[in-house]
Amino acid sequence: MSEPNSEHIVVASLTTAYGGTRVLDVDRMAIRRGQFLSILGPSGCGKTTLLHALAGFVEPDGGSITIDGHDVTAVPPHHRGLGMVFQNYALFPHMSVADNVAYGLRARRTPRPERERRVAEALDLVGLADYARRRPRQLSGGQQQRVAVARALATRPAVLLLDEPLSNLDAQLRREMRVDLRALQQRLGITMVFVTHDQEEAMSLSDRIVVLNGGRIEQEGSPQEIYSAPVSRFVAEFVGAANVIEGVGTADGVDVDGILVRTGLDEEPTGPVSLALRPERVRVSEGEEPLGADGRGGVHGEVAHRAFLGDGWETRVRVGEALALSARTDTEPPPLGARVTAHWDAASVIALRDAGGA
Amino acid sequence: MAAVRGRLSGVGFVLPAVVFLVLVFLVPLVRVLSLSLHPVDGAGNPLPEFSLVQYQRVFSETFFSQALVRSFQTSFLVTALCLALGYPVAYALSRVRTGVLRTLMFVIVLSPLLTSVVVRSYGWVVLLSANGAVNRLLVGTGITDQPLPLLTSYTAVVISVTHVLLPFAIIPLTTALGGIDPHLRRASQSLGAGAVRTFTRVTLPLSLPGVAAACMVVFPLAMGIYITPLLVGGANQPLAGLRVYSQITSVYDYPVAAALSLTLLVLTLVCVAAMGAGFRFWERRHDG
Repeated sequence: MSEPNSEHIVVASLTTAYGGTRVLDVDRMAIRRGQFLSILGPSGCGKTTLLHALAGFVEPDGGSITIDGHDVTAVPPHHRGLGMVFQNYALFPHMSVADNVAYGLRARRTPRPERERRVAEALDLVGLADYARRRPRQLSGGQQQRVAVARALATRPAVLLLDEPLSNLDAQLRREMRVDLRALQQRLGITMVFVTHDQEEAMSLSDRIVVLNGGRIEQEGSPQEIYSAPVSRFVAEFVGAANVIEGVGTADGVDVDGILVRTGLDEEPTGPVSLALRPERVRVSEGEEPLGADGRGGVHGEVAHRAFLGDGWETRVRVGEALALSARTDTEPPPLGARVTAHWDAASVIALRDAGGA
Repeated sequence: MAAVRGRLSGVGFVLPAVVFLVLVFLVPLVRVLSLSLHPVDGAGNPLPEFSLVQYQRVFSETFFSQALVRSFQTSFLVTALCLALGYPVAYALSRVRTGVLRTLMFVIVLSPLLTSVVVRSYGWVVLLSANGAVNRLLVGTGITDQPLPLLTSYTAVVISVTHVLLPFAIIPLTTALGGIDPHLRRASQSLGAGAVRTFTRVTLPLSLPGVAAACMVVFPLAMGIYITPLLVGGANQPLAGLRVYSQITSVYDYPVAAALSLTLLVLTLVCVAAMGAGFRFWERRHDG
């Protein structure tokens, strides 16, 4: 057995194309043993293709996949020994819950007493011991999802691949399953690779997140890193819906198509700049206050939209033709159409990599 | 009131079809039934009194009874052949997703249905006659000295009937196989099952409704078929459909033809009902 925290799965220079279009181009991605890694991205970013390449359903055009130091790039799916949970669960409709869970053990010719023990154990693990004789279609969506997890875990794989397994559940159940799944992963110490388009899901579950865009890794890091230090406009906007300010740095602030934005930084940046601001870091106050004092950045604008979200308010401050900023506040913002100042602490300003539209 | 009117307008939609079926199907069938229950005089005209003598003839005269047995055997054989030949084709068809290739494959599969019976059967005649391509090949390569009587053989009948009925097996099989969620195959593989196990444990059981549908379409069609065996195998092939045909067209013994066709019909219905019951039994056992 390899050491905990060692590199469990390594993807190197992996490329895949469909009909001449490159859908995946991953330089390097390493998943450590016992880690919960999320592959996060919008639909069509190649995340499912990447997961299917790990599972062996997609044959890559180039590159390699290594599991436990063994190159498995050419190994067919049924010899990879990975567990997989599908988005639609893919339970066998003609088999009972117990037979579904026993399927992988039967394929491995596990002797009957051992098989029955492990089926019971797996169903116990997901709290469905009483449902062994039911058919999948007699179960609710959440129960089916748990059967899918039990089925994948019954063979005790070292890696579990999950393809948006929570996306077909309603919001309440999804939150519950999130907690359960994470607890299960930590209890079993299993490596999980989780594909999702839901940034909140990725944030709350993962040790590490890989943000995928157009088949390429945009950024890899811990949830905190991804959130507080996004490297690109794409990551900043996709994770946490940041405000992005793109323009040219001048001595008086960033010039966004004629609108001057005070960043509040000690020294205003020069040249093409790309900055991100989290909505919850932006404050809105009524009236046009002076800008650029005490290490605070800001702009003047008017309230173009406001909405009550339950736990706070969202306000859209229209600065000009080329710029509008979103702010999330705890207190009720000024009324629609009011002249306001949107301001922030200089420390909240995130510099992005792709300044100048690179 | 509205509910009643709604129901009545529903009746209005099916009424033309009901009238049509009664006129062209039910009325003739009742006529055939009454025809089969009367004895005939010397000139072959039905007499007014009631009798089961026609049915007695159907079961006692080997000319008829053996034709029934042979039809039954042939239909089983043809159904089995259609399944065996059709399943791989349907499997391939269900896996092809791209448009042009799929359309092309479907056209090839459906071509027997798009050709008239006469043209299709004549094709077999051209191929299998004493001077046909197959015999010339056999004689030319020295496999046989003389042309074989392929055309009038039972084998030729089975082959041509299978050819005609194959699409009726392929269509429901393709539908059933195409309806299987491709993720199920992947799930099976991810659980360690190879191609064979995935097929026998997942694909095959889930395609059984298609297999049942194929059987229940092909078998009755094979029981009643007569034009193809007539053109390929000749009028002397001992099949029930052909016996009915010859009784009507050359012997003019309508009552026995009626009795034989009704016997054939009942036998077919019983077989199809048995298949259906068998399938439902299997489904209940395996599908909770």
